[in-house]
Amino acid sequence: MDQEPSRFKGKIITDQMAEDITRVEELAYDLRISEVMTRDVATLSPDQPMRDVLEVFRTVRISGAPVTRGNELVGIVSIEDLIQCLSKADLDAPVKNYMTTQMITIRDTDTVVEALKIFVNLRFGRLPVMDENGQLVGILTKGDVTRGILKALQKDYQEEEVRRYRARHLFEDIESDRTSLILRYNIRHLDFTHGGAASSQIKRALIRLGASPKVARRVGIAVYEAEMNLIIHTNHGGIIRVEIEPHQISIDAYDDGPGIKDIELAMKPGYSTATEAIRELGFGAGMGLVNIARCMDFMKLESSEETGTHLKMKVFLKEEDKVGEGYAATKEAAA
Amino acid sequence: MTLDQIIQSLNLTVVTEPQDFASITPSGGYTSDLLSCVMAGAKSKNIWVTIQSHANIIAVAALLDLAAIIITEGAEPNQATIQKANEEGIVLLTTRMQSYETVGRLWELGVRLG
Amino acid sequence: MNVKDVIAIVNGKLLNPSADLDREIKGGCGADLMSDVLASIQPEAVLLTGLANPQVVRTAQMADVAAIVLVRGKQPPQETRLLAEEEGIPLITSPYGMFELCGRLFQAGLKSLESPVNE
Repeated sequence: MDQEPSRFKGKIITDQMAEDITRVEELAYDLRISEVMTRDVATLSPDQPMRDVLEVFRTVRISGAPVTRGNELVGIVSIEDLIQCLSKADLDAPVKNYMTTQMITIRDTDTVVEALKIFVNLRFGRLPVMDENGQLVGILTKGDVTRGILKALQKDYQEEEVRRYRARHLFEDIESDRTSLILRYNIRHLDFTHGGAASSQIKRALIRLGASPKVARRVGIAVYEAEMNLIIHTNHGGIIRVEIEPHQISIDAYDDGPGIKDIELAMKPGYSTATEAIRELGFGAGMGLVNIARCMDFMKLESSEETGTHLKMKVFLKEEDKVGEGYAATKEAAA
Repeated sequence: MTLDQIIQSLNLTVVTEPQDFASITPSGGYTSDLLSCVMAGAKSKNIWVTIQSHANIIAVAALLDLAAIIITEGAEPNQATIQKANEEGIVLLTTRMQSYETVGRLWELGVRLG
Repeated sequence: MNVKDVIAIVNGKLLNPSADLDREIKGGCGADLMSDVLASIQPEAVLLTGLANPQVVRTAQMADVAAIVLVRGKQPPQETRLLAEEEGIPLITSPYGMFELCGRLFQAGLKSLESPVNE
């Protein structure tokens, strides 16, 4: 394992590697030593008696400390060294007699994974952290790494919570007679790789805005079908426009052709004009428009060979499903 | 397990012309909605479970000499499909059950991948 | 039954190790046509499918699927794995075919979690 972490960042990842990367591992590659290390380091001088080591370890509650002469790191003294000293009843001896001078240090700009490699391979309990000038800037233990990663994981979670909180109060914070949020997505013809990306983003936006999981699911499914229709059945793809209001969600899918010849037939369950190749991709079951009708409270399909197809969909939100927390209450109070 | 017993147990609807179902014993089962997978995986005299109901399934079934097709989720094959099945002597069965449950029931009857 | 139990029953291999294996599975659904999945599947089901393209994960995400099992030892393309990782949906590959998997899971007590379309 001596690969540059940057290789992961550059996404040159084999299937097997991708499989093995978890969020924690990602963090080990993302987090810098300086973000997780302990900065206020208790240091000792090589000429101090070992008695002082006992005192420092006991009061600061640590089990090891770097030994410095002036600004220079000369060794590290650990609880094991202290035990050895105690067994010889030699507490008046200077620190330099017991300290370890063969040290492995680590740079503050290194990623956490570098430290993990050293901890695992060399069984060191703590690593002095040096800056670019070779100055001691901190110390790193396995506990520091664990705490750092846990904190980062928690931050990920909190950031999402904050995003949700802010989004939920969006409608409350902005005053107008009728506030709405419009999301627009360009969908490319035959772009199966990104197919569903727009619906995915819309579903996530709705959840952040405080929509119930049930409403988010209904809208997600309907938009996904509309999105796949634009990918499969159009000349040049099309546009999905979603307008979110506290009381309703309106979705429009437009394209510029070729248009649907027989709308009634197109609405029939199981009817599809998809080719065998499309069916082999798992689409063209002839259930798309049926699914949309089932998920939406309102649906209107307009199509002509000249202007293309325009699919209008709406979900009306019940009181308990309203997006933008507090909106109803504020309006009622104002009225 | 004969086709007759399977039709009875799963309460399947026969949409093609009646045959002597008691004399047909499927060699096993197969399920997929992707025709290329069926072509690659289904064996002769298998019973095939799918949601697909368009005419191409008959061509595949005839080519592979399948014993019967069970079309699930209440999907109804159109007249052209049924007519083609009759011409090819393919037994078309339908059910309101989903593919998952249909296969689960077949499995309970002892029909295995074969 | 949770994701871990399903992996054991289908003799499967989890392709995104960070997924939550304690997530409860309430039922099963086997289909290769995504609209069919969207039309009938109830939330928190395991989806058995012969497809391995990223659309499977998208569909699962839209339909609140709890886990995806790819049949016949399919190895999905990288985009599918990354998307499953991103969305936190357990992506499992099983050496068995769809017929065998439906049978085994149904036998293990996992009932159909699809609802008829035309009630």
